[in-house]
Amino acid sequence: MSGKETNFTFLEKYDKRVAALAKQAEEYVHTDPDSCMFKLRLMVETMAKKLTNLQMRGDISQDLGAMLGALERGGVVPRRQADSMHAIRRDGNAAVHGSPTPVPTAMRRLKEAYRISGWFCKMVKRGSKITLHEFQPPIPPVPVSKETADLHGKLDKLEESIEQRRGETRESLLMFGPQENVEDVSRRIIEELVALDNVAAAAGEPTIDADFVALVMAMDLEQIEEDPRHGVDSRQARREAEQQLEGIKQHLAEREKAFLNERTFLLEQRDVT
Amino acid sequence: MSLTEQVHLATLWFLSARAMAVAGADMPTVQEAATGLYAQAILGFSEEDCRKAKNADHISNKTLIDCLSGVQQLPKEVAEKILTGVMMISYADRKMKPLEVRWASMLASAIDVTPDDFQRCCVNARVIASMLRPHGAPA
Repeated sequence: MSGKETNFTFLEKYDKRVAALAKQAEEYVHTDPDSCMFKLRLMVETMAKKLTNLQMRGDISQDLGAMLGALERGGVVPRRQADSMHAIRRDGNAAVHGSPTPVPTAMRRLKEAYRISGWFCKMVKRGSKITLHEFQPPIPPVPVSKETADLHGKLDKLEESIEQRRGETRESLLMFGPQENVEDVSRRIIEELVALDNVAAAAGEPTIDADFVALVMAMDLEQIEEDPRHGVDSRQARREAEQQLEGIKQHLAEREKAFLNERTFLLEQRDVT
Repeated sequence: MSLTEQVHLATLWFLSARAMAVAGADMPTVQEAATGLYAQAILGFSEEDCRKAKNADHISNKTLIDCLSGVQQLPKEVAEKILTGVMMISYADRKMKPLEVRWASMLASAIDVTPDDFQRCCVNARVIASMLRPHGAPA
């Protein structure tokens, strides 16, 4: 891709500010990779603010890390996009604090920013049809020497191995494996839990029954609410815990009633035959 | 403990943990991350154990009954650590749902803890849940 061409033309229709930042980052990637990272970080911050305003309620911290965390927790930003946004934030912060950015790192983040941009457009304008073409790496204004190209190659490999390591750590921490369909697995677990709930309602637990568990949990939840970090006053914390306990007791009573009805029905059927 | 045993144990942990998370209806990211952190920091699994445990070969053909039967055979100390972690996950969103209560009750009964032991596990879980939640994060 030559000097004046850009990968980010499509963005202008959706967000002019984000598009301008993306283009500036693209311009700087070879000549000033640190500035490229500043621009990319600002681009991600602008995207996060827009998404927060559009999709989140309540008071969200304006710190980028916290904002991304809230968007991810709220299900607005999927994991893959969040990973890329965090990577840009991290490398952008490092550049701001004086850590020099190698060209391959800036290029990698630029490519990620391109992928996020396609997704971002769909988020800000529902139903948008965006077809992302293959990312065209900007061509350096002056040809790079063989030594520099070799060094860039080595840096890129290092960056790749760091990314892979980071991915493995993340994968190990998550509850589901990458090959698993979370919705399917969750549905299966719920079916099993409901079946166990029915069995327990009929047979009861041998040692620790659900009433006792609910009571212990309610007491703990009351204490958690009272924790200075949540700042709920004692009376309200107790009220909330009692409400939750009441809900569980009601559920258990309904289960018990359903079981008794079923048993009565079966006995009646036996008498008829 | 051999690698296979560690992976088996890690599989039991992830099964118990995800049952509690799913029982709680919604699954915030903090709950997800806490599962892996607990596995590595408290239960002592390596990253590789955790990744292998979630591999289809190990986890996809196991039911919650298998999980209950597995924890029943564990040494008491290990089983209690699993129970503590599971309760931590339940406390992460500061809510209790009927299926969470049922799963806790099932698990505690399978491990055969006494009411006092159960309360002790819950207190530990509460403390860890408070430590793991990011400051000011929503429930």
